[in-house]
Amino acid sequence: MDNIHIKGVHEAYFVPTVNFDASTGICELAGESYLEETTKFYQPLFEWIKEYTDTVKGPLIFNFKLSYFNTSSSKCLVDILDMLKNYQKNGGSVTVNWYYDDSDEELEEVEDFTLETGLEINKIPISDED
Amino acid sequence: MEKKNNKYDFSLFDSHNLLNQNILVSYKGPIDERIMTVIGDNIVLVANDTNDKARTKIFKVFMELAQNVWLYSSETCKLENGKSVGMGSLVIGEFGNYYTFVTGNVVKNADIVPVIDKCEMINSLDRESLREYRREQRRLAQSGKPNSGNIGLIQVALTAESPLDIELTPVNDDESFFSIAVKISKNCTKK
Repeated sequence: MDNIHIKGVHEAYFVPTVNFDASTGICELAGESYLEETTKFYQPLFEWIKEYTDTVKGPLIFNFKLSYFNTSSSKCLVDILDMLKNYQKNGGSVTVNWYYDDSDEELEEVEDFTLETGLEINKIPISDED
Repeated sequence: MEKKNNKYDFSLFDSHNLLNQNILVSYKGPIDERIMTVIGDNIVLVANDTNDKARTKIFKVFMELAQNVWLYSSETCKLENGKSVGMGSLVIGEFGNYYTFVTGNVVKNADIVPVIDKCEMINSLDRESLREYRREQRRLAQSGKPNSGNIGLIQVALTAESPLDIELTPVNDDESFFSIAVKISKNCTKK
């Protein structure tokens, strides 16, 4: 299956950087997410995860490195986490890492994502990133 | 010196003085994605008497509240690309150890009651309850409903760590001017 590579841009809207690699299962969502049509942007990402979990069935490592996401994007992030949780429930290997920048509020929101989806999320300070 | 009002219907000098020295930025006019980005990218620059955490908060609060003006103001303006966008005002002021961020726009009286109820409910909740409320609303928003700005107001209260100070001033029989102000501490610990 194909990989997804989207280069992030900061213009009238903010497009996040996306790197989903089907050969390694390593997926990155980084930068800023504030989009004209949020669901339309995230739909191909949902479809990629569905195809990967239906056909490749390999491990998935999700690295979130978002410096800003609006509330509309946060709904789509929860959708992604829901899909990952379902994959895990069905025996899939899932690791989720959330890189944060000295932000208590962001940590609270990540804790809320865990409460909403039941998915464990590793919280990693950006300063610890190698 | 006698004030001349022959050129304009209003005095820009008076308006300037009304926006006293505590006001760092003020804007009135149409708000769309381009204007939001220009103001959003620069609004944090004026808050130079603070730390990164407060600046991040100002940006996040701006993004949610300005979007509400754009989408929900009943006073609209047609741009050159044919799109109709909301008109409104925003102000950021500096008062001692905090910033105040205010947005305001005209609303239809019939539409504003649920928004006021929502703000009052948000103000009645402590932080943990507010987080729980955001989780609930995000779940509801996923079931195919359009984004109604509901989570946005909860997010603003959580980010600012302050209540939503709302004010409704009638402008005619059907419409009122609705404003939301939040305080953002310069010494905030949460980003």
